[in-house]
Amino acid sequence: MPVPVEYYLVLSAAVFCTGLFGILTRRNALFFLMSVELMLNAANINLVAFSFMHGNLTGQVFSLFTMALAAAEVAVGIGIILVLYRNFEDVDVTKATTLRW
Amino acid sequence: MAEGIFAFVPAIAALPFVSFLLALVAGKYLPKRGAIAGIAAMTGSLLISILALLSVSGIIGEPGISQEVLYQWTVGQGTFDLHFGILVDQLSALMLVIVSLISLLVHVFSLGYMNDEGETGLPRYYAELGFFSGSMLAFVMADNLLMAFMFFELVGLASYLLIGFWFRGPSPPSAAKKAFLVTRFGDYFFLIGVIAVFATFGTAGFAGSEGFPHLAEQALNGEYSVNTFFGLGEQAWFTVVGLLVLGGVMGKSAQFPFHTWLPDAMEGPTPVSALIHAATMVAAGVYLVARMYGFYAVSPTALAVIAFVGGFTALFAATMGLVKEEIKQVLAYSTISQYGYIMLALGTGGYIAGVFHLTTHAIFKALLFLGAGSVIIAMHHNEDMWDMGGLKDEMPVTYYAFLSGSLALAGILPFSGFWSKDEVLFEALIHGLGSPLLLGAWAMGLLAVFFTGFYTFRMVLLTFHGEPRSDTARDPHGVRWNVKGPLAVLGVLAAVAGAINLVPIEKLTGANIDFLHDFLDAESANAAFVGFHHYEELLKTQAGIEPSYIGGEIPTLLLSAALSLGLALAGAGLAFALYRGPDPERHTEKLGSVRDVLYNNYYQDEYQVWLAQDVGVGIARVADRFDQGVVDGTVNFVSSISLFSGDRLRRIQTGIVSNYAALVTLGLVLLLVAFGVTGGWF
Repeated sequence: MPVPVEYYLVLSAAVFCTGLFGILTRRNALFFLMSVELMLNAANINLVAFSFMHGNLTGQVFSLFTMALAAAEVAVGIGIILVLYRNFEDVDVTKATTLRW
Repeated sequence: MAEGIFAFVPAIAALPFVSFLLALVAGKYLPKRGAIAGIAAMTGSLLISILALLSVSGIIGEPGISQEVLYQWTVGQGTFDLHFGILVDQLSALMLVIVSLISLLVHVFSLGYMNDEGETGLPRYYAELGFFSGSMLAFVMADNLLMAFMFFELVGLASYLLIGFWFRGPSPPSAAKKAFLVTRFGDYFFLIGVIAVFATFGTAGFAGSEGFPHLAEQALNGEYSVNTFFGLGEQAWFTVVGLLVLGGVMGKSAQFPFHTWLPDAMEGPTPVSALIHAATMVAAGVYLVARMYGFYAVSPTALAVIAFVGGFTALFAATMGLVKEEIKQVLAYSTISQYGYIMLALGTGGYIAGVFHLTTHAIFKALLFLGAGSVIIAMHHNEDMWDMGGLKDEMPVTYYAFLSGSLALAGILPFSGFWSKDEVLFEALIHGLGSPLLLGAWAMGLLAVFFTGFYTFRMVLLTFHGEPRSDTARDPHGVRWNVKGPLAVLGVLAAVAGAINLVPIEKLTGANIDFLHDFLDAESANAAFVGFHHYEELLKTQAGIEPSYIGGEIPTLLLSAALSLGLALAGAGLAFALYRGPDPERHTEKLGSVRDVLYNNYYQDEYQVWLAQDVGVGIARVADRFDQGVVDGTVNFVSSISLFSGDRLRRIQTGIVSNYAALVTLGLVLLLVAFGVTGGWF
């Protein structure tokens, strides 16, 4: 008796909301990066869950690609954070406002 | 495709343009700084022109005219086409010969006036001269009004460049600007006239059954329908269009009140003055009237305006010439006056008389200017006649040539000017007897004959007779063959050119010697609706202008000839009586305030400067205020709204990533809620 798909969806929603909460409340750029990862993986859980439900492996293959993309994204993100630190002596995202008007 | 010699006609205009390019690009390396190239080009043009003239008149091959489209640059879809085309008929062939002949002689004369005097900038001079001649020749051979307008403008540009040739002094650039602006003012009306012709007839061709003069005639006969505007009838609308085109004519031909640029144009080199006055710039105006004569002939009002402006200008300019002290100034006013005669002839229906006077005037005026140029060389560029005197013995070739031109200008038997001026006045008289307005124009023209005789011989006597009044006059600078040659050619022509149209002799003796009359009245011309016979029909049926005589044709002819010759002799005699003797007095000084008014050209310049400066600047200021206030104000107001709102809206861009994230999240939630409500999830 497999676990019903709703459980996975609830888990995924919870992980997504955690990530969203992190983005909206944290000021440290590294926490941002982690929160974004959480949201991305919430989407992965959905993909895998639906793939399992429909008995079609395409969704799982997609989630593999998403993970590879996430790794690349983290590399870029960390690069940005390094530059941010170099310019502002800090990784607080609310400090870096010089590109606005 | 044109046949025989007509295939080469485009080269008449193309050759001077080639010499223009040559002198412009490589003038420094050419022999005589480009003069030889120019002379070669003009010789070629003259030869082809003469062949074309002989061909048109039937001396070579079949008589006939040629009209062909050379290059069509706009093809209309369901409307008219725009093209360059060439029309070689009697009138244009004659004019091509005149223009290329005068231009050739001016080129040769320039060798003496410019090269021998060591002027700088000669390549530029010869380039501009070639450009000037080429533009005028292309204007003359144009077969439609738009092409004519384009080359009319190029002629204006070339004269601007040449009048301002000595651009380092203060007055030549100013004179050049004045010539450009005054003629441009007239050309503005011409441009509107060209557009009006296209809008009315859908074509601007001059000749043939498709030409607009013939369409106008058919429209008046009810055989063809044209577009008229502003609710005007056909006759009234044609008059309006004719008068618009006439604006350009009056500007170029220096007719009152646009004559003020021409005396100032004397600032250019003297050979250029000869070219401008005799064959190119100024002749372009009256040539245009003759070219589209079929169109003017259907409008009695336009004809009356032409005649009256012409007669008035003839008299008005002649009075100003009476008191001038510089030789070229006298000649400048005589040019204005003589073009007044040509306009008078055309306006009173004397088409042949007008063309005849245009021809003879081109010859004797070129002669007089080149003669004056020779005197100016001799006098080391001093132009004041009161410093001259006694040059007769020092420079006999110049003197006799100049005298021949002066006798022609004054209209003394048997020099060419007598025959043409007599015919002008005769035509004006017989056509004017039925109309007080035309008769008034004739009377002014007749009176001007007296003044012409006076100022011409005042000029001759002061320049060549009496005792020398300055050191340079005692020991003048010699001139060479390149000055004397053109003078001799033109001197002989000025004496005998009247022989092309001895109408009075023909009427008295019955011998068939009115060659110009027969030439312009050829069958081929009438078939293309550009012949004299056709014009005469039009004048009679459309304009109601018919000749009438005082006691028969011969007595009227004799009366007219006697009047004009008598007045010319009286004027010349008065000048002779006043200015002969070794040391003439300054008689014009005795005229007092009259002399001041005449010497200052009736204060025409002053009021035009006032118009241009005070009135013009006033209007410009009001326009500027409107532009800055209303036009710019509207634009600025609209942009200030977006500036202000942009300034407020950009505040939501805080630069803080968390805020953006919150906005994105909020937006997504709102979107979901909106979908939910409209999609019926709840």
